[in-house]
Amino acid sequence: MPITNFGGLLNFAEEIEKQDMAFYSSVAANPEMSDLSDLFQGFAKDGKKNIVHILRTRRENVTEMILEPIIDFFRKPFVLESRDDKQMDRSQILEYSQKMEARAIAYYTEGAIKIKALPEVSQALKLAGKKRIAHTKKLSSL
Amino acid sequence: MTLPIMKNYINGEWVESNGTTMGDVTNPATGKKIAQVVYGTKDDVEQAVKAAQEAFVQWRETPPLTRARYIFRIKDVFEENFEEIAQTLTMENGKIIDEARAEVRRMIENVEHATAATTLMCGYTLEDIAKGIDSYGHRQPMGVFAGIVPYNFPAMVPWWFLPYALVTGNTYVLKPSEQVPMTQTKIFECLDEVGFPEGVVNMVHGSKDVVNAILDHQDIQGVSFVGSTATAEYIYKRCGETGKRVQALGGAKNIVGVMPDANLDAGIPSLVTSFYGVAGQRCLAGSILAPVGDIADELLERFLAEAKKIKVGDGLSDQTGMGPMAGKIHQDRVLAYIEKGIEEGATLVLDGRDCKVEGCPDGFFVGPTVFDNVTPDMTIAREEIFGPVVSVVRCSTFEDLIKLVNTRNFANAACLYTDSGAAARKFKYEALPSMVGINIGIAAPMSFFPFGGSGNSMFGDIKAHGQEIFQFFTDTKVVMERWF
Repeated sequence: MPITNFGGLLNFAEEIEKQDMAFYSSVAANPEMSDLSDLFQGFAKDGKKNIVHILRTRRENVTEMILEPIIDFFRKPFVLESRDDKQMDRSQILEYSQKMEARAIAYYTEGAIKIKALPEVSQALKLAGKKRIAHTKKLSSL
Repeated sequence: MTLPIMKNYINGEWVESNGTTMGDVTNPATGKKIAQVVYGTKDDVEQAVKAAQEAFVQWRETPPLTRARYIFRIKDVFEENFEEIAQTLTMENGKIIDEARAEVRRMIENVEHATAATTLMCGYTLEDIAKGIDSYGHRQPMGVFAGIVPYNFPAMVPWWFLPYALVTGNTYVLKPSEQVPMTQTKIFECLDEVGFPEGVVNMVHGSKDVVNAILDHQDIQGVSFVGSTATAEYIYKRCGETGKRVQALGGAKNIVGVMPDANLDAGIPSLVTSFYGVAGQRCLAGSILAPVGDIADELLERFLAEAKKIKVGDGLSDQTGMGPMAGKIHQDRVLAYIEKGIEEGATLVLDGRDCKVEGCPDGFFVGPTVFDNVTPDMTIAREEIFGPVVSVVRCSTFEDLIKLVNTRNFANAACLYTDSGAAARKFKYEALPSMVGINIGIAAPMSFFPFGGSGNSMFGDIKAHGQEIFQFFTDTKVVMERWF
């Protein structure tokens, strides 16, 4: 499915954040992962902040003068099937978390380029991506 | 299923109208009725004006900074309800959700600008205009003002006026378009949360009877109107007869010129949006595409390629690039213009007449349409179509373009795509329309600049928003003072 406009781009960002936040919240409450509960709770909190940030960006940076279509941008490469952490072992959870982060970083990086006509939006996506890069580093250090 | 019935908001209460005529509100994407509205009467207007008149006494004494704080509160409530307002707007008007969001944003930008009243409402002073005599002019609110607004921007347009009227100490009566009353009803629910003193802001739904009652009412000091040129002229004359201030913004026939040196790679997306945004139902929409010289064929080829990619559909889907006409009557009108273009000999190169949308068989859709070889005297090059119909008028020279721009019956907006500063300057200098875009397809002034055309696109002196709006809503009282 193509992402053709400003709203579509930010809506999908919101979907990504919600999906990831739900997973991380669940992992944070998973007894098998109790030693990493704070880390995953932190990731879930970041997701919540990112959603607020994305929604504010969608409200405040929409301008009809440059409401131009987005070209050649598709959801498909960024779609990740939802997983239930209760059905996964520790290493699978960590591996899947890395995948989610990589997906988000790729989406925010490409999205920021596609929406460069609206610099504030582009910047907002880059910021959201920055948080995800920090997540990746934390996951890699485990 | 029982449909919601829109109520009037008078003296801080939701009240039922005295009217007996009921109108339907239709979702233009589905053709389904989604609400009903009672057309108000002269009595409804009378009640609203009475409430506003009574509220004015205390409201004008409320310090400007305190009034501005109410306006700040409006902003907060609007931000909280942003998405709901945008969704309501798309449902009853049809524009795509991003366009609805952009409109709500512009509405809020006017609220933000109005909060500057403590600066922008200031008067001026000069000492010693004669020996020992000082003079000062200060802006005073005048009383009750009214707004009569159109269907194409049901959220934003009322707010080109309303927040400025309130912040300057006036009280207000608004008549939304009867086709799209839900958006302002939602917005007035927000205002109800803000907690204005009773009667400061009022809303009466309705049609011509409400308009005439407003125009004839002796206690209304001024009227702001946006709509067709014919109605703008009518409003202007009637307000003149009853001694009211008036700003009446009418129709448009906007030309987008493209010079041979234009950067098409950068410009095509905004060019396409200019013509097809809001399905061409904005007074700033491009209507005539006027390539100059030998760029015409390449421009047309590239424009058509992009126009064909536009996905027409229900505006609530974020996959949709263009929504329906706002109503059946508008769809029929646009289709009639397409027939007229064919009849008068223009070449129909993209035909949007038989536009089918999956899942929306009863929607009022017209697809992107392009006519080539349109001549300046054809109906489709002279009259406002207000739909997604592009008339390509090929110009041999830049002078031909200027002549084309300055010989339409309207003078709202004009745009030029060029890489030449000299051409841009000449265009800005010589084009009659009051809103000019250079490498911008929609020359929409923001809240801190005035919005409005000239010629038959605007009747009155002071335009919407900008700094000037503070003049419209105030009388400058000049005092000359001497003490012995």
